[in-house]
Amino acid sequence: MKNIDQHNVNQKKEFETVGSISSSKDVVMSVKDCNVFYGENQALKNINLEVGKSEVIALIGPSGCGKSTFLRCLNRLNDTIDSCRVTGEFSLEGEDIYSGDMDVVLLRARVGMVFQKPNPFPKSIYENVAYGPKIHGITSSKRELDELVDLSLDRAGLLEEVKDRIHSPGTSLSGGQQQRLCIARAIAIKPDVILMDEPCSALDPIATEKIEGLINELKENYAIVMVTHSMSQAARVSQRAAYFHLGDLIEVGDTKKIFEDPEHELTKNYIHGRTG
Amino acid sequence: MFGFLFIIILLFCLAIFFIAKRHAINIKKQNGFLHSLPKYYGFYASLWFSIPTLCIVLLYSLFAESFVTSNLVNSLPENIKNLSDNELTLVLNNIKNFAVGNISDSSSFASIQQAADFYNAQYDLIHSVVLYSSLILGLLTFIYAYRSITATYRARNFIENAIYLLFFSSALVAIFVTAGILLSVLFEALRFFEVINFSDFLFGLSWSPQMAIREGQVGSSGLFGAMPLFAGTILISLIALLLAVPIGLLTAIYLSEYADTKVRAITKPILEILSGIPTVVYGFFAVVTVAPFIRHVGSLVGLDIASESALGVGLVMGIMIIPLVSSLSDDVISSVPQSLREGSYGLGATKSETIKKVILPAALPGIIGGILLAASRAIGETMIVVMAAGLSAKLSFNPIDAVTTVTVQIVTLLTGDQEFDSPKTLAAFALGLTLFVFTLFLNFIALKIVRKYREQYE
Ligand SMILES: Nc1ncnc2c1ncn2[C@@H]1O[C@H](COP(=O)(O)OP(=O)(O)OP(=O)(O)O)[C@@H](O)[C@H]1O
Ligand SMILES: [Mg+2]
Repeated sequence: MKNIDQHNVNQKKEFETVGSISSSKDVVMSVKDCNVFYGENQALKNINLEVGKSEVIALIGPSGCGKSTFLRCLNRLNDTIDSCRVTGEFSLEGEDIYSGDMDVVLLRARVGMVFQKPNPFPKSIYENVAYGPKIHGITSSKRELDELVDLSLDRAGLLEEVKDRIHSPGTSLSGGQQQRLCIARAIAIKPDVILMDEPCSALDPIATEKIEGLINELKENYAIVMVTHSMSQAARVSQRAAYFHLGDLIEVGDTKKIFEDPEHELTKNYIHGRTG
Repeated sequence: MFGFLFIIILLFCLAIFFIAKRHAINIKKQNGFLHSLPKYYGFYASLWFSIPTLCIVLLYSLFAESFVTSNLVNSLPENIKNLSDNELTLVLNNIKNFAVGNISDSSSFASIQQAADFYNAQYDLIHSVVLYSSLILGLLTFIYAYRSITATYRARNFIENAIYLLFFSSALVAIFVTAGILLSVLFEALRFFEVINFSDFLFGLSWSPQMAIREGQVGSSGLFGAMPLFAGTILISLIALLLAVPIGLLTAIYLSEYADTKVRAITKPILEILSGIPTVVYGFFAVVTVAPFIRHVGSLVGLDIASESALGVGLVMGIMIIPLVSSLSDDVISSVPQSLREGSYGLGATKSETIKKVILPAALPGIIGGILLAASRAIGETMIVVMAAGLSAKLSFNPIDAVTTVTVQIVTLLTGDQEFDSPKTLAAFALGLTLFVFTLFLNFIALKIVRKYREQYE
C-alpha cells in the first residue's frame, strides 16, 4: 500500500499543482515552496498555493495530512511551537509574512483564525467577543463596542441564544455554541483573511447552515481558507478546493472540477470514500 | 518473638500460595475454564490464611501487656499489693526491667527474681498461644478457602476488594494520626483554659508567661494575652509574603511563558535547591548577614533598627518561600491549556497581553491557593524566627521593631525543665492549637480554591 501511495505521489508531478489563480491582481495570500518540520518530521512538503479575494478555498484530505499545520503557517501561529520550523515564501497582499519587518501581532489581527477545537477564554461571552476589539482599540466608546459585540454574535448565529446571558461565562456554553462564539470572536476584529479549521465539526445542521450562510456573506469582503471533512460542505461553500495527502498538496482547482473530475487518482479515491 | 512469628507465617503463606495455585490450575485442566488467573487463587488462599494471624496479633498488642501485668500484681506478696498506685507502678517497672535483663535496683524487695521469672513465664506462655492459635486458625481458614475454590469462584474480584481495603486502611492511618495529634494538643490546651479564660488568651494584649513561683512574689503575675504573638506572627509573615509573592510570581511567569527549555532546565533545579536549604541555615543567614545589614542601612538614614527586627526575619523567610510560590504558580500557569494562548495570539494579542488578560485570570484561583499554602508555611515556620526574631512580646506593627511569634514562644515555653501542669507550659499547647487550627483553615481554603480551579479545565 505504501508503494502504491508513493507511486501515486510521483504521478502527481505530471500535473501542475501550483494552485495559482489566473488573474494575479486578485491574489491576497500566496505561498511558495512551503515546507514545515516538527523536529525531524516533515509535515508539509513543497506546498504552493494562492488565495484570492472574495473566495472560499476548502482544504480537504485525510486526518493528519497537514491541513491544520498549513493554516497555522498563514498567521505564523506555528512560531509558538518550539519544535516547529517553517520554510518558504509567504506573502499577504505583497508583504512577506515571515520577514523580520512583519509585525506578527498585526498580521494575526489581519488573518483571523477559528480553531479546530473551540477554545473560548474563561471569561464572559461578552468579554470573549470584546477581547480582540479591546486590544486593538477598534471601537472608541462603550456603546460602539456593545454594538460590535452584538453584531458579531448575530452574524455567528449565536445572539438569539445568548442575549439574556451575555455576561455568563463562555465556557458554560455547549460545544457548538462555543464554536460559534469563537467565530464571533474572530470576525469581531474584521480580519482580511479568515482561517477556519473545521468550523462546523461540532455543529448541528441548522447551526451549520447559519455558519455556511455567514461564510457566503463574509467572502464578499474577505478571503476564507477553510478546512473541512465534509465533502458536501466543501461543495456547497467553496469555489476552489485543495486536496492534501501525507504532507503533499496533490491537487488544487475549482471545487466543481475537483469533485466531478479530479485529475489525480488519490483525490478521486478520497472523494469517493476509498482509501489507497 | 515477632520476627520468628513473622517468618513462620510468611513461609506458610508462600507454601499455601503455591498449593492453592496448583489446585486452581488442576481445576482449570479438569473444567477447561477458570474465572480468574491461577495466581489470584493463590493470593486468595494465603490471604485467608493470614487473616486470623493478623487478628490475633492485634489482640495481643492490645491486651497482652495489661493481662500479664494484672496477673503479676495478683502474684505479688500482700504488702506490695497494698502500696499506693504510684509506688506500685514503680515496683512493676523495676520487675519488668529486671525481667528483660536491665538490672536496676534489685534491693527493692527480696523476691524480685521470682516475680521477674513469673513475668517472663507468662509472656512465654502467651507467645506460644499466639503462635499455635494463629497457625491452627489459619490452617482452618485456609481449608475453608481451599474448598471454596471452584472454576467459577471470582478470586480476582475478591483480591480487588482486599486491595481496596488495604489502601483504605492506609488512608485511615493518616487520618487517625492527624486526629490523634489534634486531640492530644486539644486536651492539654483545655487544661490551660481551665486556668486562663479563653477570651483573655485570645484577645489579651500583653504576654508575660512568668508565673509566681512563691506566693506573693512580685512582678510575675503571668499574663497570657496572645495578641502580641499573633500580631508578630502576622507581621513577619506579611513581610515574607510581600517579598515572596511578587518575586515568586514573576519568576513563575518568566519560567513558564518566556524562558526557553534550556534556561528552564537550569533555573528550576536552582530554585529547588533554594527550597532544600535547611531552615537553620536561613536562620543564621538572617542573624549574621541580613540583620546587621538592615541595621547598618537604618543607621545611615538615622533609624535605630532593632537587630532582631521583624523586617530582617521577614525578608529571610520570604527568600525561603520564594521557591514554594514560584513552583506552585508555575504548575498552575503551565496547566492553562495551550489552546487558550493560541486563541489569544490568533486574535493578534501580544505575549504580555495574553499573560495579563487570559493566562493570569485563568490561573488566578490556583495562584491564590499557592500563596495561601506559602502563607501557612510562613506562619508555622519556627527555626528562622527562633534564631533571628526577638523574645519580647511587643504589640507592634512596625517592621523595624523586634517582635516575637507564636512558634518562638512555644519553643521558649517548652525548653528547659518545666512542670507539666503549670499554666506556663500548658500555654504552649494552647498556642500550638491556635496555630494548628489557623494553618489548617488556611490550607483548607487553599486546597478548596486549587481544586475548584482544576475542575475548570478537566
Ligand atoms: N505540535 C506538533 N508537534 C509535532 N507534530 C505535530 C504537531 N502538530 C501536528 N503534528 C504532526 O503534523 C502532521 C499534520 O498534522 P495536522 O494537525 O496538520 O493534521 P490535520 O490535517 O489538521 O489533521 P486533522 O484532520 O485530523 O485535523 C501530523 O502527522 C501530526 O502528527
Ligand atoms: Mg486539523
